Amino acid sequence: MTVRAALALAAALVPAAVGAYTPDVEFALNCQGCHRADGGETPGSVPAIANHVARFLAVPGGREYLVQVPGVAQAPLDDATLAAVINWMLAHYDRAHIPKDFTPYTEAEVAKLRKDPLVNVEALRTKLLKTIEPKAP
Amino acid sequence: MNRPIGRPWIDRIVERGARGLARRTSRRSFLARLGGALVGATTLPLLPVSRAHAEGARVAVPDDTGIEGPEGDPTRCEYWRHCAIDGFLCSCCGGTQTTCPPGTEMSPVTWIGTCRHPGDGKDYIISYNDCCGASLCMRCRCTRTEGERPVYYTSKNNDLLWCFGTKSRAVHCSVAIVLGQATKA
Repeated sequence: MTVRAALALAAALVPAAVGAYTPDVEFALNCQGCHRADGGETPGSVPAIANHVARFLAVPGGREYLVQVPGVAQAPLDDATLAAVINWMLAHYDRAHIPKDFTPYTEAEVAKLRKDPLVNVEALRTKLLKTIEPKAP
Repeated sequence: MNRPIGRPWIDRIVERGARGLARRTSRRSFLARLGGALVGATTLPLLPVSRAHAEGARVAVPDDTGIEGPEGDPTRCEYWRHCAIDGFLCSCCGGTQTTCPPGTEMSPVTWIGTCRHPGDGKDYIISYNDCCGASLCMRCRCTRTEGERPVYYTSKNNDLLWCFGTKSRAVHCSVAIVLGQATKA
């Protein structure tokens, strides 16, 4: 069987790309390009999520921020998939900082929060980081 | 001053050790180890460079043998991994489809998409890393746009230069690394 015939057969058998990928794959396709596979920082361009991202959950406004931050809120994912990706990301990159009373994000919560965009992302981020680490500059 | 007739204790210990070593090992094994050490030493400086390549090697990379024509040729725009590439192919610029040419640095921040392998019909996650630090290569220019979005979705637009976190922002060429299979939920 030639490759072309195999390809035609595969195209006939495999349905078109519909339906969500698993959360780790969605992260790879929509987030990892900037946040890197290890969730590490790219100084001057991208902040670290590894060993850091779940710390936002411990301060007032932080839980909302993690959905409203533009990279998350504007990701081309539906609400249910986005909630699954955020929950996966927290557990995968920063399990140690997840508060004991944390309840996973739901589709409804994500839907509500992402409709309320942040006007000044940088200012809010700085404020939250100061609450997380009062000694930070 | 008279010295004792017997050999000093240190001589006896060294001789016993040397004879034991000679019995247990051969000159060939010493040469083999020396060779290994030399090769290891020359490989060490390359490690950071090949790390991104190793990222692709850790996952199951589909077999390209048997793919006829340009879809199986890493120096062609039609190569299956290049379904969403925009730039010059590093495989035409002194590198390969997974490694940067000498003198350039691979950007850790990348453009990511999926391409379907013509052999097994499965979708794979492809990372298009730019190699940065030299002027545009100008060989094997490709513009393929599968899954690309308009520029207001910056993370899904491949017209942008993706040299972030590198010493130089000058883009030279692009590689296409398989990160894994795009598994459905």
